[in-house]
This record gives sequence, structure tokens and C-alpha cells, in this order.
Amino acid sequence: MKFVMLLVFAALYLPLQAQQVTVTGRILSGKDQTPLAGVSIQASANRGTVSRNDGSFSIAATVGGALQLSIEGFLPKEVKITRAELGLIVLVPTQKSLDSVVVVGYGTQKKVNLTGAIATVNMEEKQGQPITNVSNALHGVPGLFVNLSNSQPGVDRSTIRIRGIGTLNNNDPLVLVDGIEYSMDELNPADIASISVLKDASAAIYGSRAANGVILVTTKKGQGDAKVNYSYYYGKQSTTFMPDAIWDPIAYMKLKNQAELNEGKTAVDYSDADIAEYQNGMATDPFTYPANNWFDIALNNGTIQKHDVSVAGSTDKSQYRVSLGYLDRNGVMIGPNNHEKKYSVGLNLSVNVTKRLKVGLNLDGYYRQYTQPFYNSFWQYLTRTLPILTDTLKDGRYGNSWLRTPGRNNWENPRMIAYTGYSRKVVQRFLASTFLDYKLPFDITYHAQFGADKYDGLLDEFTPQVQSFNPKTLAATNWNSPATAPRAGETDYNNLAIHFYNTLGWQHSFAGSHHVSVMLGSSYDNFGTSQFAGSMTGYLDATLTALDAGTIRYATSGNATSDVLESYFGRLNYDYDGKYLLEATFRNDGSSRFAEGHRWGFFPSVSAGWRIDREKFFGESDLFQLLKLRASVGQLGNQAVPLYSYENAIVLGQNYALGGVLQSGAAATTYSDPNITWETTTAYNAGLDAELLKSLSVTVDAYKKRTTGILRTVNIPSQVGGLGGPQENIGTMDNTGIEVSVRYRNHIGEVGYGVFGNLSYNRNKVVDIAGQILYNYNSSISTITKAGYPIDAFYLLHTTGIFQSDAEVKGSAFQSASTRAGYLKFEDVNKDGIINGDDRKVIPSSTVIPKYSYGFGLDLSYKGFTLTGVFQGVAGIKVYPTANIAFPFNNGANATREWLTEAWTPSHTNARLPIVTESTGNADNFQASDFWLRSGDYLRLKNVQLSYALPKKWLNLAKISRISVFVNAENWVTFSKYRDFDPESLLNANTLYTYPMLKTVSGGVNVNF
Amino acid sequence: MKNIIIGAVVLGMLACSCNKDLLNTSPKDQYVESNFWESQPAAQAALAACYGVMTGSGLWGGDATPLFEEGASPNAYDYDNTMGFNLIAEGLQSASSGGIIPGRWKACYTGIGRANTFLVKVDDVPMDAALKARMKGEAYFLRALYYFTLQNYYGAVPLITAAPDRATQSDVKRTDRKVVIAKVLSDLDSAASVLPLKYTSTDVGRATKGAAMALKAKVLLWEASPLFAGANDAAKWQSAADAALAVMNLSGTGYGLYADYRGLFLPQNENNKEVIFDVQFIYPDLGNSFDLIDKQYNTNAPLLDIAQAYGMKNGLPITDPASGYDPLHPYTNRDPRLYQTIVYPGDTFMTVPVTPTRFAITGYGLKKYSIYDKGAAPAGKSDLKAGQSETNYIILRYADVLLMYAEAKNEASGPDATVLSALNSVRSRAGLPGVAAGLTQDSVRTIIRHERRVEFAGEGVYYNDIRRWKTAEQVLGQAIYKYDGSKLEARKFDPARDYWWPIPQTELDLNPNLTQNDRY
Repeated sequence: MKFVMLLVFAALYLPLQAQQVTVTGRILSGKDQTPLAGVSIQASANRGTVSRNDGSFSIAATVGGALQLSIEGFLPKEVKITRAELGLIVLVPTQKSLDSVVVVGYGTQKKVNLTGAIATVNMEEKQGQPITNVSNALHGVPGLFVNLSNSQPGVDRSTIRIRGIGTLNNNDPLVLVDGIEYSMDELNPADIASISVLKDASAAIYGSRAANGVILVTTKKGQGDAKVNYSYYYGKQSTTFMPDAIWDPIAYMKLKNQAELNEGKTAVDYSDADIAEYQNGMATDPFTYPANNWFDIALNNGTIQKHDVSVAGSTDKSQYRVSLGYLDRNGVMIGPNNHEKKYSVGLNLSVNVTKRLKVGLNLDGYYRQYTQPFYNSFWQYLTRTLPILTDTLKDGRYGNSWLRTPGRNNWENPRMIAYTGYSRKVVQRFLASTFLDYKLPFDITYHAQFGADKYDGLLDEFTPQVQSFNPKTLAATNWNSPATAPRAGETDYNNLAIHFYNTLGWQHSFAGSHHVSVMLGSSYDNFGTSQFAGSMTGYLDATLTALDAGTIRYATSGNATSDVLESYFGRLNYDYDGKYLLEATFRNDGSSRFAEGHRWGFFPSVSAGWRIDREKFFGESDLFQLLKLRASVGQLGNQAVPLYSYENAIVLGQNYALGGVLQSGAAATTYSDPNITWETTTAYNAGLDAELLKSLSVTVDAYKKRTTGILRTVNIPSQVGGLGGPQENIGTMDNTGIEVSVRYRNHIGEVGYGVFGNLSYNRNKVVDIAGQILYNYNSSISTITKAGYPIDAFYLLHTTGIFQSDAEVKGSAFQSASTRAGYLKFEDVNKDGIINGDDRKVIPSSTVIPKYSYGFGLDLSYKGFTLTGVFQGVAGIKVYPTANIAFPFNNGANATREWLTEAWTPSHTNARLPIVTESTGNADNFQASDFWLRSGDYLRLKNVQLSYALPKKWLNLAKISRISVFVNAENWVTFSKYRDFDPESLLNANTLYTYPMLKTVSGGVNVNF
Repeated sequence: MKNIIIGAVVLGMLACSCNKDLLNTSPKDQYVESNFWESQPAAQAALAACYGVMTGSGLWGGDATPLFEEGASPNAYDYDNTMGFNLIAEGLQSASSGGIIPGRWKACYTGIGRANTFLVKVDDVPMDAALKARMKGEAYFLRALYYFTLQNYYGAVPLITAAPDRATQSDVKRTDRKVVIAKVLSDLDSAASVLPLKYTSTDVGRATKGAAMALKAKVLLWEASPLFAGANDAAKWQSAADAALAVMNLSGTGYGLYADYRGLFLPQNENNKEVIFDVQFIYPDLGNSFDLIDKQYNTNAPLLDIAQAYGMKNGLPITDPASGYDPLHPYTNRDPRLYQTIVYPGDTFMTVPVTPTRFAITGYGLKKYSIYDKGAAPAGKSDLKAGQSETNYIILRYADVLLMYAEAKNEASGPDATVLSALNSVRSRAGLPGVAAGLTQDSVRTIIRHERRVEFAGEGVYYNDIRRWKTAEQVLGQAIYKYDGSKLEARKFDPARDYWWPIPQTELDLNPNLTQNDRY
């Protein structure tokens, strides 16, 4: 019997023994090919193991079975056991884990518990992108409209608008770096870990400056073993769009003459003899008879390069990170005067002194210098160039033109402008902040932080006296007067801002499921600026440039300002079992910008959330990992009036010369209203967050922001003493909109991919401005701000076509005495027979904020390769460029080539453009009408980057833990209707006189030791 | 240890709330109304600001506004349409034109507002009573000057005499022009009664008794002219003549004709005996660009018409066969003022012979009001740029008073000996023979009008003269020509509309109670 039992056992056991083997393998992360430790490997319900530090594991299992692999942050994987050695197994990362923590006002919160509309930007994803200033990296964040209007090295910061335009004054959001107000553009982008954007009432904890939204920037801290990182990139830059001007001198001269004849002039600029002489001379003497394409001559490729090195780590008692960065950028303008250099240093240090006390120091400093031409209207002068303008004479002296062109008395030779003199700005700015955290008994924590923001700038300018020469007669024309050049000037800027805040926090859980936390705090901010300037002339020559080397004091000036803010605030959070979430905040702010009695404002908010996925009735669902509804309402303020606006000021400088000596003159120049106070915005938001299928996350927000008491300069008629109007709290404006953002991550085999898209729609409407109508508030574009329309909507005549005959002109409403066939025909809206200002119509499109902003993109990763592409665009906005090049022959400037072929002539009557005339001689055609209104919509391939992480086995020898190389193209392709200039640079501008938008191709390397 | 920490925390929380004055800040570069009107220097600064408005581009400063104004008349052509004057010459101005049309309206009201404020507020300032009265007299003069200028171009304008107050003044309608003029005349009388005849050298440039009386004569002459008077009224002409005569007979002023016509307009001779009131400029703090415009930009290029308006040295017009005018040598033996006012082809300018392409727009350039002439430029000033000229702009001079008297008296009672004597003083200073007695009123009127044109050529005066005489419809709607007779462009003038400037559109938008001038 025992023998039979043995046999049975053997029969049962041996086959099992025969199938069971030790299965081994090695697990790597799909994100960066590093070994994954701590992966849970289950062979069966009760047999499992965990992967080791090098990612390897061994487990007894049967061939033919399967292993279940899982670890937080990665998609779980089932691996069929086909043999004993499974080799390398790669796990694909999920979207950000649900336990991730988001920085909010005065603290942090788990993402799942958020009740507000907060967008986060992970700066690590942007590594390798040629970002010169952090604000330029925020394109594509839902709810943010980012606009870079000036790409000049040194000053290329984007304007950021969160959820539309809420006020007629300063619309900039509040930016805080590690809790202290600072400019994010004064930080090295490589030092930034993440950015949180508070879009709704979640910003109300910042009270009086939160109405435009709040951006919280968090710098990188050290974590884990000491890591050294070095990265470098180098790129080339060129312009996206430049106008298609006429560079053939003969065609230009003939078209100009034709334009003048079309206007009714009998004398033309260029006689037939001159044109014939020019045509003959072009072949033999390109100096006197040039055919210059000035955009080619004056622009070249720019370069950009950046080095960054950092050391970071932590021990159980301290965390540290030290970083250094260097950026060198040369712009697209010829000459030495568009160069930028930035050196940055960052230090984040914190020490756990005792169990209760932690202290720390953050220091972020920037030393930067940039140059620009002394005569800094280079772009305006470039748009005034003509093909007949000589570049240099044969001997290298600057040339002008021998042809007399009316309106061109002072030929602005762009090469001369680019190389003459210099204007150098050196800025040293740092933010130093120290903090302490102390754990008091009873779960109370105390946090205090003190920051100093010191800005020291020096602007050093010098110009020599310079001349240009007539290529034929060699006569010299002075560009600047010998009486005031050579001239030197220096301006010193010295600002100090002090910030201090402290908070007491208390956290407790009751009965297991009730979690409460309370925070109370106070803060103080003092912003002081001071500057002075001096300039000197009377130099012997251009060799010595210091002020002491001159003899005649030309001018001096100086001023100082001060601005103070005091606040008290608090927050209460409550959640029941992580299911029902509630948050309430308040803030009481006092500002020095308003008169006594109007200084304090109270700003409360409340928000709630409901985690539907944690409800019992929802059950265990594999579909939804997170389904949360949230809503918020709050009041935020804006104190952005110019300083001292509430007092009736008597300004100096209204001088007059009596007795041959300048006498000081003083007069009031603007009206003021002493009752002005905060603008208040009430923001409502409802949102839905969902994460489903373990790979898809969706966020939808709908909002309404109503701003009341908008501070605005009200224009008053000139008959009231010619005074400028007062700032007043008038007006109510609404911004309503929807933001949708979708993100999907998954993998096909070993290829991981992610797709994202977002769309924001914002509708801006002025609800009420006390029955007034405000004209041309912000610019010389013809705009109107009126109840029922968006702010600063276009206010233009309506064009119905082109007059085909003089008889048609006579039979239509009177436009001007010079109107004739080929001119634009305007609609007589009020049917009074005269076309004048009363016939203008409101075009319900704002000049400053688009209706739609959207972005979409994808990323792919396979083994060591990663490819990302991001598209970004705006729609529903218009621009109105005027003056040089945008209009033909404006005050002696050039015209675009479309006027050669698409203008009306008696033989080409079915034309798109009216008859060609000079725009300065034709007040009829070029007055404010919708004919010249252009679409500002664009879609851009904002960024495409391909990177490759070298395989580990190559690196082990050099003790390098990771190297990746990458190539990147930014702004490479842009689709837009208006092609003469980049529409992003033209927003709310009415000329093309700005540094053009640039596209960059770069490549670089990133090394981790 | 714990207690210390807790104590520090509480203190930290409280520290922010103890100092109520933390939020008080005040500017360091400007005063506030509540603390300004307290001393004599403050009052003087406020009065200086009332004068300062004249140096703006809306009135007689900016780059060279009075020189550009010549381009609105048949005397000159501004191809650049600086400040919109060429549009006005072409008859194409509209309510939404920019430049001088809204600029002058605003500049005048700025000056009026400052004068009104001064007249009210200076009473609070503790200072010498006689000085205060004199300063008020200056403010009355300036207010009158600004209102006269305003109604001259726009017609009826809102009359405001209180300190600026938005609540009561924003919707004031256009006041009848005669009421405005009555106020102007009463202000000038108030001024004349307290202003001195002369000032010491530290106060040169301020308004004098003679200035107030001369401006009064000008106002009355304008009032008597066809555009403003409507029907011819000899009594009006007579009061104008009386007012001018009062200036001529005012003793102690030292007024007379400056012997050197060219030198009259040079900065080294500024404030001479012929100047009654001018706008003061100094370099570098408050200059203008007269030299740049005259010498280089040439945006006030004289036309063939004015070159041919000058007579011969013998006093006869060039069209008169007995004058000796030679079309082949058009610039020999001409009225000496031609050589002292314009630069013509064949002339010499800054030691360089002048070709027709030197001033290529019309062939002519203006030399009046610039420091440049035939010879070399003064040392260090060969290429003055914007804002570097300091030639004062003369608003009222003695020659004007004489011609005003001659015109008014001729219209009132015909050409008597006093008329011819005044007229001939001006001619003889210019180097021309006098006009003989025995001519008719009509012939003398023609001679006086012609004399005004050539005497004041280039000064921005002719445009207003042809408007008030209502001759613009004949002389301004014509084609204009270069030095060689080739046509530049045609101009238009609509008599139903173009004698007045439109009220700017922005003003109509802001004050719906304003009505627009006809046909705009």
C-alpha cells in the first residue's frame, strides 16, 4: 500500500516538478531604459517576488503559465512563460500617477483632491527645447493665451493671458516662484521643475492680484542619490515670414510713378531719363545703380546655444541642488547689436535641523547682458528700405541714393543703423529667500518665508557721428547732427522688493473618514524702484565713450517709486472619505495705490468636489480610475492702476523760456478720481475630471468671469482744459468660455505613444460701461468699446467693392473730392449721402484676444527613441497692420509685389486690390475700413523633437548613467492667411516695426552622471 | 524652547498689522493739488505753463508748425502733408483727419484750461498784490490769444472761463462766435490795464501792454473782415483802425520797424524793437526744427506763385510792362524781400550755387526763420537737426500793426495820408519806393493786400488773410507750379465748406452736444 501511495505521489508530483523551472528576467522602464526595482511579479496567487535593484528577478513557475507584473506608475503586464530565461521585459509608463501632488497657493494638494481648475506644466518634458524665456514655453496650456510679440534677444518675453482679458489695464497674471512674487523670465528654464496655473477661484487665496490668474513656479529640489547633470544645445534661427517687397529697382520706380499719376499728380518722382540711366548703369556699376534686396542684406541666420550643469541630491537630513547655466544668443539682425548672454546660478538648500525644525535657502540669480542698436528703430527703418538704396560704396562707406525721392530726406541705411553706436544693458537680478518650517504640537505647523528681489540694471549707450554718401556725387549727408553726436548716455536702475509671509496650518482626521485642514496667514510686500540717467555730448571723436570724456552736459533725469501691500488670508479644507471635498478661502488686502478709505478689499471663495468614482453605487469599475465633478466660485481683485492715480497731480516739465532762461512750468495734465478702488472679478467654474481605461484622461471646464468696477481712463472732451481723462471704476465685462483637454497614453508592443489635444474657447463681452462709448483706447487702430461687444472691437467703414467708373463715383455717396475709378467704395450706413465717421460699423472681433486657442500633439517612444510633436494655434482674431510696407508707398517706403499684378487698372477691372496709389497721398482709400482688416489666425507646428537615449551597455564603462542626444525644430511650419509677417507678432500692433518671429533648428546632448 | 517658538510665531503674525502708515506712499516727482498753491514760485511755475502751450505742435511750435501752415496757402507746398496742412490746401480735410485739426483744438483748450485755473487759484497764494495783478493780466492775455485762435479756425466754440470741471463743462455747446469775441476783447482790456510797457531782461517774453493792444487791433480787424462780419460795416473797420492807431501812438514802448528785414528773423537779434509778442525758444531745452525744415526737409517749399508775387525794385508788379521784368533773368532787380525770404535756382546758399535740384520739390527753398544764408553757416551749426533751432516765432510785429491800420482805415474811410504813411513805412524799410497819393480805395486795397502777402511770406499768415478776405475761392483752388512753370498738382476749394475747419470727430464723439460745421 505504501508503495502505491509513493507511486501516486510520484505520478502527481514528478510531472509538476518536471514543468516547474526557475524563470529569470530583467525589467526595464519604458520611459528611459533604466532598470526597474520593486516590480511585483506574481506567478500565482501565493507565489510572488519583487525585482531587484538591477531590475532582475527569479521565480519558480511553470513553463506555459504566465507572470503578472505590476508597479505603480506603469501599465501592468502579463508575460507568457515560453522558456526559463525571459530576457528583457519593458514596462510602459502610465500617465501621471493618481497620487501625484500639485502645487497650490501656500501649499500643495493631491491632484485627486483638487476642487479648482488648475493646469500643470511638467518642465521636464520640455528638456532640450530651445527656450530662451520660460514664458515662451507655455504655448498650448489649456486656458492660456501666450503671445510673443517681440523676438529680440534680451527682451523676448511672452505676454500671457489666462481665460481672456478681464480688465482694460494690466492683464498680466501674478507669477510666484517658490512662493515669492518674481518674474519667471528671470529664471533659467532648466532650474524649473513644474508650473501650476490657477485659472479660477483657486487663485482667490492671492486676493487682490489674482483676477488675471496666478502662475506658481516651483524650482527643482534635490532628491535621492547625488546626481550630476550636464546638458547642451546649439541651434540656428531664421525668420518665419517677411513681406514680399518689390526689390527690382526698375519695377519699383515705374510703379511709384504710376501710383502718383493715379492720384492726380502731374509730376512723378523718377523721370524717364533717370530710369533709363539706371537701367543702363545696373549692369556695370552696382554701387551707384543697385538692385538691393534689403531683407537679405540686413538679416542673417541667428545662433543660440546653452550649457547647463547641476548637482542635486538628498540625505536624510538635507536636500540640495546647485546649478549653473549659460545662454548665448545672436539674433537675425546683422551687426553686433543683437546679442544676448545670460549666466544663471541656482541654489536650493534645505536642512532638517531637528525633528521639528527645517530651514532652507533658495537663491536664483541671473546676470544677463544684451545689446541693441543705439538708434533702436531698426525695424521701422528696414521697412523703409528701397531697392535703389545703396548698401555701401566701393570703399565701404555707407551709401544712400542719388535719386531724389520726396519723403526720403534722411536715408536710413539699415547697415549704418545696425553698426553705428551701441546700447548695452547689463542686468543682475536675484531672488534670495529663506524659509523655516516648524512642527508645533497638536498637529500645527508654522511656515515663514522671507524673500528679497534685487534688480540692478545699467544701460550704457554711445553713438558716434555718422554720415552716408551719395554714390554718384559722393556728397555726405549727416545722419545725426555734429552738434549732438558723438553722445553717450548711462541709465541706472535699482529696484528692491521685499516679501514676507507666514502661515499656521493645522491638519487632523476625525473618526477615520473626516479630514480637516485649516491654514491662516499674513503677508507684507514692498516694491521699491529707483532710477537715474545722465547723458553727455561734446566729444572730440568716437574713441572715448565714458561720460567724463565729454564736455557738455546734455540731460539728466531720475525718479523713485514705492508700492506696498499688506494681507491676511486663510483656508479651510474638508473632505469626507476622499469622496466629498470642500474648500473655502478668504483674503483681506490693503494696497497703497488707493486713497485712505478705499484701500482694503475682501476676497472670499468656496469650491467643492465630488469623487463619483469612490461612491458605492458606482461600484468597482475597471473603466474609470477617476471621475470627479467640481465647482468653484470666488472673488478676486485687481489693483493695477498706475501708482498715485487717486491724487490730482500737478506735474512739472511744462516749461517756457523767459528772459532767455528756461523757467520751470507746472500744471495738471490729467483729471483724477479719488474714489477709485479695486476691480473685482467674480469667477464661476464647473469642471469634470475623468481618467478612464487606465490610459485616457479628460478634463472639461466651463467658466464665467465677471469683472466689475473696471479701472479705465475715461476720455473727456478737450474743452475741459485739454486734460487727460481720469482713471475710474466704471464698467463690467464678462469672459465666458469652455476648455477641453484630452490625453491618451498606450502602447503597441514595445512602442509607447501618447496623444493630447486641447481647445479653449473664450468669449469676451463688455456688459456695461455706464452708458459710455470709448474710442481708440489702446492704440491708433480704430476701435470701440461699447456694451454688447468685445473689448476694443474694430470700428471700421464697410467696403462694398471698387468703383469701376467715374460715373459710378458721382452716383454714390460723397467720399472725398479725389475719389475716382479704381478707389474703394464704402457703404453709406446712415444713408445721409456722405461717408464719414458715422458710417463706421462695429466688427465683433476683439483686437487683443482670440476666440479659440488650441493645441494638439503626439509623442512616440520606442526603445531609446522618443519623438514628440506639438501643434499650437489660435482662431477668431483679426489684425490691422498699416504704415510702411503694409500699405504701399507709405511716406516714401516700398510696396509689396501684389501691387504689381493684383491692383485695379482700367484694363484689369476684376482686381482684388484698388488702383495703386501712395497711401500717404490717398486719405480716402487708406482710412480705417474693413478692407485692410486681416485674419490673425494661425496654426503652427510649434515644436518637434527627436531624441535618442544611448543604450546602457555602452555607458557602463564611463560611469555615466544616461546620455541622450536630440534634435529639435521650433516654429518650423506656420499656416496662416496673412503671409507678410507673422500674425503672432502683430497682435494689437498697427505696424510691422517689430523684431520678426523666429524659427529654430537645434540639436544637443544631455548627460546624467 | 517651545514657548519661545510659539511666542515668535504670534509676534510674526501680528507684526504685519501694527503700522497703519505702512500703506501711505507719495510720489517724488510731482505735486498734488492740495499742497501746490502756496508760494510765489509755484504761481510763477503755473503761469509759465500757460505760456508753454504755445511751443507745442498744435500751435506755433512742435517741429515747425507755423512754417507748415504756409503749405495750406498758395505760397507753399508740403509734399509730406506734415500735420495735414496739404490735405487742407487740397480741400480734402475731413473730421477724421489727424494732425493740426484735432491738434489745434486740443492745444488751445489746454492753454485756456491752464489760464482759467491760474486766474482762480492764484488768489489763494500769498504774494505781492501788484505782481499778482500783473500775472493775472498775462493770463488774461493768453486766454484771449487762445480763444481768438480757436474761433478763427473753427467758428463758434464752447466758451469756458471756469477752472476745468468735468461735471459742468463736458457737454457745453458751441457758443455763438460773437459772444466769444466779446469775451476776448474784455480779457484784452483787462490785460492792457495792468500789463507794463516793458520788462527787465529776466522777464523778456512776457505779454506787455502793447501786445494786448496789438492783439485787440488784430481781433477787431478780423471781426471787420468779410468772412467774419458778413456784410461790410464801416464802423467795425473804424474801431479796428482806432485800436491799431492806439498801438502806434503808445509812447514808451519803443516799437519801430527793424532796419534789417533779414536780420529781423535771426536768433541773434531776437526780441528787437519790432517784435511785439513772440514764442520763445531756446536750445537745448526748448528748441524747434525751423532750420532742419528750411534747409533739408523743404516741406514748406515756396511755389512759383509767391516768387512771382514779389514786385520789382521799383515797386511795380512784374506783370506791368513798365516794370523792367525780364523773364530770362527773373530774379534780377526784384523786391529785396524776395532775396531775403526765398532761395531760388541761380542763388547761392551756404556758399554753394543753387541748382534746380537743390530744393527739388519746387526749385525754391525758404530761408526766412533759418540761420542759413548765402555765406557759410555759423560755426558748429552747419547741420542742425530736429529740436536744435532756437529762432523765436513772431506772432505780432510792428509792421503788422502798420498794415492793419492801413487796411482798416482804407476800408473805413478811404486812402488818406495816414493810410499811405503807414503803408509806405513798411515799403521803405523793404527798400521799395512809396505809393503815391490819389489812388482809389479799391487800388489801395489791392496794394495793401499784396503788401501783406509779400511782407509776411513764409510766416504762416497768408492762409488766414485769404480766408478772412474770402479770396481763397479764387486763389486757393488753383493748380500749383514749380519754378519752371511745370504743374505739380491741382487743388480744390469748396467755398461752402472749406473756409472753416471741421470740429474733430473725436470731440463730436465725446460731446454729443457739439454740432459740426456745414458740409462736413
